[in-house]
Formats: sequence, structure tokens, C-alpha cells
Amino acid sequence: MNKEKLNGFFDKNYKKLLLIPAVLLIFCFVFMFFFYSQNHDIIKKDISLTGGTSIQVTSNIDIATLQSALDTKFKETSVRQVSDILTGEQVAFIVETRANTTEIVPFLENYLGFKLTDKNSSIEFTGSTIGEGFYIQLMLAILFAFIFMGTVVFFIFSDNLKIKLLIVALSLITPILFFMFNAISINWAFILSFIVLAISAYFYIRYSIPGFLVVACAFADLFMTLVTVNLLGMEVSTAGVVAFIMLIGYSVDTDILLTTRVLKRRGESTNSKIFGSFKTGITMTLTALAIVIVGFIFTSSFSKVFHQLFTILIIGLIFDILNTWITNACLIKWYAEAKKLD
Amino acid sequence: MKKLKWTWKIWMLVIFIILSILSIFSFPPLFLSKGVIIKNIEANSTVFTAGIRQGDIITEVNGQVVNNFQDYTKVITHLFNSTSPTTLNNLTNTNNSLNNSLVSTAKQVKVIMVTQKSSLVNEKKTYSFFTSSVPQIVVSDVPKTKLKTGLDLQGGARALVEPEKKLTDQEMQDLIAVSIERFNVYGISDIGIKKVTDLSGNNFMLVEIAGATPTDLNNLISQQGKFESKIGNETVFVGGNNDITYVCRNDATCAGIQSCDQSQEGYVCRYSFVIHLSEAAAKRHANITSKLGINSSMTGERYLEKQIDFYVDDKLTTSLYIAESLKGQVTTQISIEGSGTGIDQKTAYEDAQSSMKKMQTILITGSLPYKLNIVKLDTISPLLGQRFNYLILLTGIVGLFAVSVIILIRYRNLKASVALLITSFSEVIIILGVAALINWNLDLPSIVGILVTIGTGVDQQIVILDESKSKRIESMKEKLKNALFIVVSAFFTVFVSLLPLFWAGAGLLKGFALTTMIGLTIGVLISRPAFADMLKIIDQKRVEKNAS
Repeated sequence: MNKEKLNGFFDKNYKKLLLIPAVLLIFCFVFMFFFYSQNHDIIKKDISLTGGTSIQVTSNIDIATLQSALDTKFKETSVRQVSDILTGEQVAFIVETRANTTEIVPFLENYLGFKLTDKNSSIEFTGSTIGEGFYIQLMLAILFAFIFMGTVVFFIFSDNLKIKLLIVALSLITPILFFMFNAISINWAFILSFIVLAISAYFYIRYSIPGFLVVACAFADLFMTLVTVNLLGMEVSTAGVVAFIMLIGYSVDTDILLTTRVLKRRGESTNSKIFGSFKTGITMTLTALAIVIVGFIFTSSFSKVFHQLFTILIIGLIFDILNTWITNACLIKWYAEAKKLD
Repeated sequence: MKKLKWTWKIWMLVIFIILSILSIFSFPPLFLSKGVIIKNIEANSTVFTAGIRQGDIITEVNGQVVNNFQDYTKVITHLFNSTSPTTLNNLTNTNNSLNNSLVSTAKQVKVIMVTQKSSLVNEKKTYSFFTSSVPQIVVSDVPKTKLKTGLDLQGGARALVEPEKKLTDQEMQDLIAVSIERFNVYGISDIGIKKVTDLSGNNFMLVEIAGATPTDLNNLISQQGKFESKIGNETVFVGGNNDITYVCRNDATCAGIQSCDQSQEGYVCRYSFVIHLSEAAAKRHANITSKLGINSSMTGERYLEKQIDFYVDDKLTTSLYIAESLKGQVTTQISIEGSGTGIDQKTAYEDAQSSMKKMQTILITGSLPYKLNIVKLDTISPLLGQRFNYLILLTGIVGLFAVSVIILIRYRNLKASVALLITSFSEVIIILGVAALINWNLDLPSIVGILVTIGTGVDQQIVILDESKSKRIESMKEKLKNALFIVVSAFFTVFVSLLPLFWAGAGLLKGFALTTMIGLTIGVLISRPAFADMLKIIDQKRVEKNAS
């Protein structure tokens, strides 16, 4: 397609293109509604967040037989194979269970016929209270991260200094009350954060629509990734939650690039600014994807932490392409047309 | 053609790279140094008194060159081949022969060391001392770099311990002090214990042990360690320095395995060690025993009618007969006895040794006034760690290669692509340099942080590259200013979004947040401006070339 045709197509259809993310988002909301009513949570948590034991043993025994042996004694236990990436041979297996170390280790030692030592195994145990605690804290961390990110984005794109300072102050209220003075409980921190987010969102829309769009696209990105993770049936670990926080950073930078170019550059049509940033942005996302995919291939057979982290990043980066170059690009075009920025 | 001129920003990047390499490898480079480094040294031991300290490097023992750990073990076993645990074969059931084998004649040991005066100046020194037992030091090969890897990469154990009640800062410090002492008494030295706080303000003690994991780590960490010695219902003395003034250990004349016997289920080895009681405790002992009657046993030996019982955490561990001669006596020296079992003599011997150590530990450190719960315990096999390092390195190299292919295809400009790759690579070096400088343990989350930095670093350089190549009629300076605006904006959004990770999850993800933040900051302050200048130079050269 040559440039003129592309220009014409985009001018004619940019509002219609928004249907794609809109339909996806509606599906995501409906899915999450059912998911939540079934699981009473927004993710399925793995044992690093619910509490339990994970044991990796260097052994090439048949994992299917082990699984059935474990099923007779323990509930919610899974066995996974760890293989060498070069030869594909099984070098170890990982057992994950809600049971305590003191219950599962003797069973495994009995089954395997040798003692588990630090030479042949790695054991990770997380108590259930601390697991739950980690989960709540990490969720709060995501919420804080999101509010902070929004504040910076607003700061960049808004012109009203007073409102900027107000937003900064607003975003700091909860962390200060929570960390510095220990004045509120973690539940209140959640409630207060949501209130702050709602008030901020109002100011974003009122004083900087482009800023709001960046934040909204980052949200859409995280939300679609979350739904995909749930659709795949993944059990999310601490590392998975961290991956979501990393996604906030990764998804925002292409949006900032796009918005800055459209708003700040002079003497170019909106379309050409958008196409220009697309070229840059897609290279950015592709290189990021390249690193993440390489990481996934090399480490995921070996480390559960990396496997999940990279999987979530891959999903998130793919959605980022959609949310930046369709959602955000079409919306910012709409905004530019309305404001007659051309 | 005018000669290519480097700007101060590029020079700054170069200087930072050089400093980082120095920080990672030290000067003179660590990988050239030979010998073994002392990781821990028992205070007040013979070696310590001789002047040898932690961090010193042993290069020669009694005229024999020590290049690595194997050499050291060879020299030491050769010198002290009659001491435990190799004495197991000499072990007999009578006390005399056992002691004879343990107490060999004192030997002169002459050690040549490299003492680290400071990180830059090393000094060669010779120490000479006499000792009859293996020096109380823990040594390992001299590390090749100053980089320290976390437990998840080098193997080890990590425990998150939560006290039963909420502790004040002072109480937490006391707990940490007692725990460190317990580990030291137990013989584990390569250990880090610190207080961590999570988002909800809960305090934990984080214990990290590098290398091999002790088998009874659970007990060692969380045991309250309440020791009581009772006769009947009356307490004679308890653990800790109020009642106990001295505990004999590491001295074969007053502590050791006394005998090993075959029993019905295998072997039983008995240990005993001497402790000294305070005046008050000794008087209590005299007072209580003076009231007791006397029984005689079948073999005609005469004992007091009640036994002395040792309780650990309210559980009875040992009961001993009290000899008639001790009745009403103010004795400050008491022998503590116990046993270990196993299917063969070796395991029984080891079990007895470990029980003895445990008992000595709680007698020295006393009990904690509250219970402890291990809420998280990870033990990572050192073998898994090694393989991991290799795969991560591979990921880094292949990842950078993949990126460079994309960049080359996209820009078809070899110079700019190379500049981009060099800048990304230098960022990694500078992060590692900073990590070595601040003694940061590079754990798995930190490695992820470095990967993120490579990713965002490349991304931001692409913004600069594209902005500089755009065909708009603006000066190069103006274009780069626009690019840096985007870069700085993106930097701040990522930076603030990582802040909450400093506290969430009891700080276990701090490594990720910290390395990423260091990486991003280095990027935005040092390498990105330098990259922008490199592009200016490349652009200038192109313009000049076109003009000529």
C-alpha cells in the first residue's frame, strides 16, 4: 500500500478501527466477571502466593507414575519435567504442592529411595500466611505503580501547573499515610488508592485527554494480558506479578513516544507523525520482544520464575502493539482532529 | 577530512566503563591472584591470635605453595591427618585411646599470606604459630571478580523468620545478634542476617546462608533454645551467660565424642563437654543435692536418688546419674552429656557431633524470650545455580545478537547500529560495576532487572536514532532535544512504577527494583547522552563527506 492510500484509509476508518480493541475489552470484562465469580479472585495463584512447597529434584524418573503416586496422598499437587535445552533429556522434576515440607519430603524420599540433600534438590517453602501477605502487598504495589505512572504521564502532558501539583500531592497521600506513619491498614490503603485513582482519572480527562489516553491504554494492556493469562490457566507466582509491573513500564514508553510526537511536533500532518512514531515504536517493541523471546527459549525449561515472567511479557508486548498502534493511535488522531492540531 | 572529535559526554561514558571494569575485576585483577581466601576465622583461636584475619589470602603453608582450595586441603590433611573426622577409624570405646588419637602433638605451622591492607595495596606477610588441631578457619578459592551472586544463583538457603510477637527495633537487633552468634557457634560463617519489613509493617528476620545448607537448619533458626537443667522439679541452671560462664568446645581435652557402641538399631555415640557454672548456680546445685538420698546400683556404684535432667525447649533430652561424691558440693565444673544415633558408626558419630554443637550453641547463647516461626524457607542446590549462570550468560549474548540483527535490518547503517550495541553493552558493564562497588548480591530478580535495562535501553536509543534521522528541517541539536524529552519522560514513568517493589514481599524483590533503577539512571544520565553525541559525530562525518 502506498502512502497516499494508507493516509486515505486511516482518515476514513480510524474510528471504525477502534471497534477491535472495544470488542476485545468488552470480552475481557465479561470474562473477568465470570472468572471472578468462580474463583473469587482476579488470578489463579501458585504456591508462592498461597503457601506450599516446591521441590526440584535432579532425577530422570518417570513423572507420570510419580504424579499418580502423589495424587493418592496429597491434594493439589503437580509434577513438572525440567529438561536440558540442548538434548531435551529430562534432568530434573519439580513437585509443587500445598503440603508442608515436613509432609512431602519424607514421602518423596521414600518414593525415590534416596535422601534429598542440597546436592540433589532445591526446596522452596512458603507459609500460607506469608504467601497471602505477599499477594496483597504485590497487588498494592501494582496499584501504587499505576498511580505513580499516571502522575508522571499527567505531569508530562498537562499545561496546568496547579493541577499538576495537586495530582502529585494526591498520589503521595496513600503511600505517606501507609509507609511513613503506619496510619492506615492495608485494606484502607487499597480503598484510598482506588479513590485517588478515580479522582485523578477525572483530572486527567478534564485537563489532559492525551495523558488520560496513555494511562487508559496501559490499563487495557495489563487487563488484556491478565485475561489471556487466566485463559491459559496459568497459576501466577510472585515473578508473574512482577512481570505485570514491568509491563507498565514497557507499555507506557511507546505511548509516550506517540503522544509526544503528535502533540509537540510542528509542521507535519497528524498521520505522518503517527506513521513516523509507528516505525520507531514497532522497532522498539520488536527488539524488546526479541530479548524476551530469547530469554524464554533459553531459561524457561529450567526456571519457573523466568518461564512465567517471560510468558507474561511476551503476551503483554503483543497486546502493547495493539493498544498503542490501534487504540492509542486512533484515539489521539480523533483528539487531534477535534482540536484541529494539524 | 577533519579528525573525529569525541565530546565530553562520550569521554564520560568511557571513563565510567573503565571505572566499572576496575570495580568488577579489582586491581591487580583478581583472576590473576592465587591462593585461598579466609572467609571466616574463629575469634580467639590460635590462628586469630597469630594475627591472621578474615579476608586474608593464604598463598603458602609450610613451604608448600597454595594455589587453590584443593592445594590447601592437601597441605592441611597432610599436616593434621590424625584429627577428626578422619579419626573415625581409630575410634575405640575407651576414653583414653580416643583422647590420645585426638590430641596429637602440637605442630608448627608457617603461613605466608597476602594481607589486604586496602582494596589496592596488598602486603605479603609470614605468620608462624604452633597448633595441635586444624586451624579454625573457613577458606575458599579467591573469587575471580568482585561480583557477588545471590543464593538463587550460587546455591544456599534463605529463611524468612517471623517472631511470635511484634518486636521493637531493639528486640529485633537482639534477636539478630543472638542468631548470628548461634550460627557462629555452630560453625556457619558465610551468613547474612538482617531485618526486613514488608508493606504492612511486619518485621521479619531474613537469614541467608551461602553454599551448602546445614541439614538441621530449621531447628537452628527457629528453635527458641530454652535449656533447663533440673533435679526433680527444681531448676539448677539454665542456658545463657547468667548461669554458665564457660562452655568448652573445639578443645579435645574437654569436649568430644567419648564412645561409640553398637546398639539394637545401629550405633550410638556419646558426647560430653565441660561447662563452668557461675557461683550462684553452683550453690543452687549444692543446695539441691544436699537434700537427696543415696541409691546404689547393681554394680555397686552409688548414686544420688534423683537424676539430673536436661530439657531443651521443655523436652527432656538427657538424664544423668549424679555421683555420690557430688552431694552438697559447690562444683563449678559440670559435664554435659548426650548422644547421637545412626545406622552405622559414621552416621552415629556425625549425629552425636551435631547434637553436641546444638547443645553448646544453646548453652552459650541462652534462650529467646519468644517463639519464632519460619514463614518461608528456600534451599537452593549449588549445582543448579552453576548451570543457571551459564544459561543466563547465553541469554544475554543471544539476546543482544538478536537485537543487533533487527537494528541492522531496520536501519541499514552499520555505524549507528554498532554504536547502539556498544552503548547497550556498556550499560550492562556499568550496572555490574556499580553492583560490585556497593557489594550488591546479584540474585535472580537482579538479573531480570539487567535484562529489563537492556530492553528499555535499546528502546530509548531507537527513539534517539529515529528522531535524529527524521527528515524534518530542524537542527540535529533540536531533534536530539526532542528525543531526550521522550527518553526522560519514559525514564520517570518506569522509575516511579518500580518504587513500591522496594517494600512489597518483604523486600525479596528489592534486587529487581534496585538493578533496574540503577540501570535506567545510568542510561539516562550517562549512556543516552553519549549515544546522542556519537550520532552527532556520525552525522557530521556524513555531512562533511557529502560536502567534499
